[in-house]
Amino acid sequence: MARLLVQLKLRLLTNALRSSTGAKISFIVSTIFAVLVAIGTFVILAALRGQSAAVDQTAAVFTVFAFAWLIVPLLAFGLDGTLDPATLALYPLRTRPLAVGLLAASATGAWPLANVVGLLGVTIGLAHGVLGELVAVLAVLLQVLFCITLARFVITAMAGLLRSRRGRDLAVFLVIPIFALYEAFAQVVPRMAAEGKITAETFAGIDKWLRWLPPGLAAHAIQDASAGHAGTALLRLGLLAAVIVVLAGLWIRSLGRALVRVDTSTQSSAVRGRPLPFARSGIRGTVAGRYLIYQRRDPGSIVRWCIIAVVMAAASVSTIRTPHYHVALIVSAIVGAGILGTFNANSIGLTGPGFGLEASALTGARALRAYFTGRGIALALIAVPLMTAVSFGIAAVAGHAADGLWVMAIDLASIGAGLALSSIFTVSLAYPAEKRVGSPWPRPADGYGGRSVAGTFGSLFGVALAAIPVILAVEFTHSVPAAVRVPALVLCAAGYGLALAWAGARIAARAADRQLPELYQLAVRSKL
Amino acid sequence: MGKPAIAVRGLRKSFGAKEAVAGIDLEIAHGSFAGLVGPNGAGKTTSLSMMTGLLRPDSGQVLIDGLDVWADPPAAKAVMGVVPAEAQLFERLSGAELLEYAGRLRGMPAGEARSRSAQLLDVLDLTADAKRLVADYSTGMRKKAALGCALIHNPAVLFLDEPLEGVDPVSADVIRRLLTRFAGSGSTVLFSSHVMELVEQVCDHVSIINKGKIVATGTIDQVRNGKTLQQAFIDLVGAKAGGEEGLSWLGSSSS
Repeated sequence: MARLLVQLKLRLLTNALRSSTGAKISFIVSTIFAVLVAIGTFVILAALRGQSAAVDQTAAVFTVFAFAWLIVPLLAFGLDGTLDPATLALYPLRTRPLAVGLLAASATGAWPLANVVGLLGVTIGLAHGVLGELVAVLAVLLQVLFCITLARFVITAMAGLLRSRRGRDLAVFLVIPIFALYEAFAQVVPRMAAEGKITAETFAGIDKWLRWLPPGLAAHAIQDASAGHAGTALLRLGLLAAVIVVLAGLWIRSLGRALVRVDTSTQSSAVRGRPLPFARSGIRGTVAGRYLIYQRRDPGSIVRWCIIAVVMAAASVSTIRTPHYHVALIVSAIVGAGILGTFNANSIGLTGPGFGLEASALTGARALRAYFTGRGIALALIAVPLMTAVSFGIAAVAGHAADGLWVMAIDLASIGAGLALSSIFTVSLAYPAEKRVGSPWPRPADGYGGRSVAGTFGSLFGVALAAIPVILAVEFTHSVPAAVRVPALVLCAAGYGLALAWAGARIAARAADRQLPELYQLAVRSKL
Repeated sequence: MGKPAIAVRGLRKSFGAKEAVAGIDLEIAHGSFAGLVGPNGAGKTTSLSMMTGLLRPDSGQVLIDGLDVWADPPAAKAVMGVVPAEAQLFERLSGAELLEYAGRLRGMPAGEARSRSAQLLDVLDLTADAKRLVADYSTGMRKKAALGCALIHNPAVLFLDEPLEGVDPVSADVIRRLLTRFAGSGSTVLFSSHVMELVEQVCDHVSIINKGKIVATGTIDQVRNGKTLQQAFIDLVGAKAGGEEGLSWLGSSSS
């Protein structure tokens, strides 16, 4: 069974190489990243040789890897055809050999190999002597086995949930803490390290509790063995092995259940029977009402709004408490609106086959203009209060709350630019989006990655360019009394943003009118 | 005879080297309940998509109620309703919201869209589920909701692609009765299917499509020519026979 499942995994990997160019490129890129991670981890762990905090930092790296194994399959569930036990439920397989087979299949591939190779950096960084080296190799293998078993257990326990609509909705929300954590690491950690707030002692503090977790056990076993304490080292490895056995036992039990039990978490829910909003505003209001409902009910939309707020806050971190705080305010406003444009740069593709209902009813530049302005109104109704509130919040953190007023001007102009660009890109760079089974986040269908990248960078750079006149107006009007300056700036920026958004909707509507069937054919290929 | 409800002339569509629709001509009279049948991959969905303005043809003309779908799309779309094969709906709207949305997109006043929506949901046996999200609907309920969206503006011509595919007998009966009543009132229905019994039961006109060409068209009696429609279809389309010799191991008598 193990052999058969490993062969299946290898076949799936080689088939990816033979399929479309897009799949081939993503496979090659993923493999290159795996190699880079292997080399990088090996070098980082090896460089710890001779450092007093080597074991603390090794324990931290081992824990990060375990965390990654836990999280990545939840986000990318469905990418690995051997992950979902339901695909094997029809065959007469006993749970135990099936578990061994699934474990072997999990251990096959570039990423598990990259884990083993990278973590073997401990043989240089932490291990000393023959016993130390031997225990290091064993500890690395047990650590990777622990990661795989942990990931398997969690994914199997959640497989039923991830296949259901409600479960996928919940999984989408995992993106927020993960994204916030990532931003914290990317923005806060380097800054704290530069300020000398992260030192070897910090790791020692973390290690006080990490050492009792399975990854910490592996790291400390290597140090014990290197220091000649063979008994303690083996005791730690034994404890780690016991954790793996218990986890594997739990996994096998949940596997047995997952094969025969359906998910019951998706109980149908009723919504309040209120009519659609904007009843008197024609097609524009009709579309705005539908978009507004989607912003509230679609977990992906809620997550996107949260990410915009997180990105705005993160973009300001590096300079917010410095004399250059106003740069932080401007950058966060522009980045926020750029992301707004990016997230909505493929509205039709993300609407998916449902666009058929709209495409069969709407025709002509006039109706389509109403469509795009309706969409813009719905997005602006959320973007304007959310993004100006975040800007005020950042200004308050900087200790200059009143500056939130002139940032509002940049917010309004940038939001208008973001909406305009997103309307235009929705037509000119439309692509089918696919949410693979269980994966909460839609990606461009094979071969359309370029359009997605163009939409992202086009929105970010376009918003930055469009905001320049307002930034200049803000910078060159410092001498004007605030009572005159702020209202004038806000009103002019609002008018400018509105004009941009209106022009974007108009351009998009004209283009959409010429290629409505083609847009429909792209939308209908979306799998959401 | 007046102008036909649906007139298709020389419709062609190729995808790369593959010619999916190889020049079809078709005329369906007003008040007809017409079926377009053919094997999988024959070009049914491609043809219906081109007739409804959702797929641009390489060449040819489609007139709905005398209105050219590709020369004047707004006018033509206003008189037709479409139920695609995969019910393409807004999953995060409730059934009632979905039908109201479909009506308002067609320019109906909100009040009228709501009242028609309630009536259609009632006839489609969806009133109890009207406040549930479409995402939680079963296949049959989705088909019925899609039919409601297509009928809410009372189109003169209704296109349906595989309307009863994957639908339970009870829901199928609801859909069939509603369609029969709709066609009986003088409106026109054209639907694609590969279920011959259904076509034989409800249609007065049938066209058989194979490899992108109409190989037979006319009244049910004309096309079946004294045989069952199933037999006439197999004779026209051709069935792959033989090849079972290699399966000597299959069956309870062997291991």
